[in-house]
Amino acid sequence: MENTLKNERIRNEMTQVHLAGLVNVSRQTIISIESGRYVPSVLLALKIAKILKLQVEDLFIIEKSD
Amino acid sequence: MKLLLPNRFKKYGIFMAPLGFCIWLAMQLGLTKKIILFFIRDGISAIHTINIIIAIVSFFSFLAGIYFLVFSKEKVEDEMIERTRLDSFQFAALVQIVCIIIGFLLMLIFEEPGEGRLMLFFILLLFIFWMCFIGRFNYIIHIRIKQLNGKYFEK
Repeated sequence: MENTLKNERIRNEMTQVHLAGLVNVSRQTIISIESGRYVPSVLLALKIAKILKLQVEDLFIIEKSD
Repeated sequence: MKLLLPNRFKKYGIFMAPLGFCIWLAMQLGLTKKIILFFIRDGISAIHTINIIIAIVSFFSFLAGIYFLVFSKEKVEDEMIERTRLDSFQFAALVQIVCIIIGFLLMLIFEEPGEGRLMLFFILLLFIFWMCFIGRFNYIIHIRIKQLNGKYFEK
């Protein structure tokens, strides 16, 4: 699964710490999601999408291999 | 997981587990007897009782330390930590099963173990499980995340 979280976060002028605080997770979780090492739960994906004012499918893009 | 202890218990566990284990090992090697005799020269009659008390206290503080280390929350407890905890339990269980199979195969191939050896084997299995869990969980949380922090700077 690919994601555009880093780009969207930077576009919204948010730091990793700020975003992590808004969705109640650690900064490490945001880093892991951005680097593609961790796929968040539906709840967390929805929270992040809501904060970045996007649809979940705009943030997380499913690949053929998934 | 609602049964997790507050984060401060992890600090207690870091001290209690190794300390309890070291004292228990010293008792097994007979070092505590020598220390007691050094301080209480005429305490030979009470030495057995004191040794048993030391064994019980050290072993239970070791167990409590392990419990605190395993079942206490991280500073920020989120879903990734929960997933990592679950992964670590699975890894530890897998290692334990492999050890059980190897252990029983060795028992079949070589001589039949005595009751004491079998007991030691089961204690070792429990020990392996918890050590694997603690090792893997902390490795993932601290080492890998430190590497990530180095690679992915703040914007």
